[in-house]
Amino acid sequence: MDSSLQFSASMLTSKHTSMATQDSVSHSPHSSALEKQFQDFRHHFDDSGCLRERIRSVASEIESAARLMHSSLLLIHQSRPVTEVLEKAKGQIGVLKELYGKLAEITWECPGHYYRYHGDWRGKTQNVVWLLAFMHWLETESLLLHAEAEEKLGLKPLEFGLDIEDYLIGICFMSNDLPRYVVNQVTAGNYDCPRKVLKFLTDVNAAFRMLNLRNDFLHKKFDGMRFDLRRVEEVHYDVKIRGLSMNGNSTGEQGDGPRS
Amino acid sequence: MFKSSAIHRLCLMAPKPQRSRHFGETALLGTATKKPRTLTTDATASAADSDSNPMKDAFSKYAAYLNDLNEKRERVVKASRDVTMNSKKVIFQVHRISKNNKEEVLEKAEKDLAAVVDQYISRLVKELQGTDFWKLRRAYSPGVQEYVEAATLCNFCKTGALLNLDQINASLRPLSDPSVEPLQINVLDYLLGLADLTGELMRLAIGRISDGELEFAQKICSFVREIHRELMLIAPKMDDASDMKTKMDVMLQSVMKIENACFSVHVRGSEYIPFLGSEDTNFSLLGVPEIE
Repeated sequence: MDSSLQFSASMLTSKHTSMATQDSVSHSPHSSALEKQFQDFRHHFDDSGCLRERIRSVASEIESAARLMHSSLLLIHQSRPVTEVLEKAKGQIGVLKELYGKLAEITWECPGHYYRYHGDWRGKTQNVVWLLAFMHWLETESLLLHAEAEEKLGLKPLEFGLDIEDYLIGICFMSNDLPRYVVNQVTAGNYDCPRKVLKFLTDVNAAFRMLNLRNDFLHKKFDGMRFDLRRVEEVHYDVKIRGLSMNGNSTGEQGDGPRS
Repeated sequence: MFKSSAIHRLCLMAPKPQRSRHFGETALLGTATKKPRTLTTDATASAADSDSNPMKDAFSKYAAYLNDLNEKRERVVKASRDVTMNSKKVIFQVHRISKNNKEEVLEKAEKDLAAVVDQYISRLVKELQGTDFWKLRRAYSPGVQEYVEAATLCNFCKTGALLNLDQINASLRPLSDPSVEPLQINVLDYLLGLADLTGELMRLAIGRISDGELEFAQKICSFVREIHRELMLIAPKMDDASDMKTKMDVMLQSVMKIENACFSVHVRGSEYIPFLGSEDTNFSLLGVPEIE
């Protein structure tokens, strides 16, 4: 256990020595010990409060970097080429890596307290995960796994890792954005996209079903995934029945363009 | 002929392919189900599973992690509930205290507290090793707070002093076996428990007044005042600042109730005790007026 939280036994002996010099009549021998304890507590909270301020400051920088990344990624909806969009967005990964490194350093000052302060970076990390996962999909059409995400951010599981629930929630967030992506891709003439995204999302959904989820936030987010799946199916269906997409064939035929 | 009638029959039997529902059905049904399923749809039929296998491997690991975590959480919650229940029992016992049975009540209370530590807190110890101590705090905090409440209450009745955090933690150290880290209560749970203590002390004070033990009530009054004053400086700095704020408001109410009771006794003097409870609607412990 962290020693800064334990108050050593020497504190007990101090109550007997400070008794003699009490000025106020109302002070009992016990109250000086009481005061001492609370004074120690105040110091403790000053320290932990300080730590938390530093953590929050880094966390807010993480949020800014994530926003920049997101903003670059949004260009994908305006049908800029994927490689160009990824190039821009990836620029922030180095920044994030550095920031998480800082976070790790700060929390390492109080080993074992990762989860005491976890709330301060939890939501932001979930966002970072979804952005990374989306970028990974654009590049490889596969799912960014937990270990891969950890590596991208330079996180080390034994020191300062990526919480698995944060990762899973991040993946759910990514799923939330896929329908919009698919819709805009089709509008731009990429008719094979729905099929690919559908396959991907179906696989992800199936993988999530392997999890024995309790009734919590993660479960709620996972439940939302089926609406994303449904929307992508709708788009896929729209494209398919109009013969816009070529069956399973992704080579060259997309250039034919929409029916006239 | 056969073929066409078979097809005809098939057409009658087959469900209407509804827009967006066709292979959606299998995907959408029973999202709450817990058993693992492999989904095959038009889109995935031809897909090589080699792509989803690393995904499935990874997810089976995540599933194992979540199962362990959730099962552990459940065990912790159960242990915490047991600690809560049995600590509350100790508190109720202490309320039965009077000038005649003080020793007896406190002795039993201490014994029972020791039992709480032995039987229930011991179950928490092994679950809360390493980072789980903070990770699962929400699961065990209520129990620990209740224990702190009970332990500090007993200690006050016995010595008139506040049992400090270090003393409580010292008492928890011998219980666990040497291979595990002992459970050491953190500052936050201690302070939250302390806040609840003031409520019990208020009840105790009122009870003691109706028994004529004014001095005891006065001791409680100055004690609770001091705690409130000290906590006022710390409350906003705590991790659980908003929880603590609510407790501070309640605490001030408790302090004032005690002060009002002491005031009533002071003003009405000897007339107060015999007729206690008959006029004053503040006291829920309506004592039967003493028959002189």
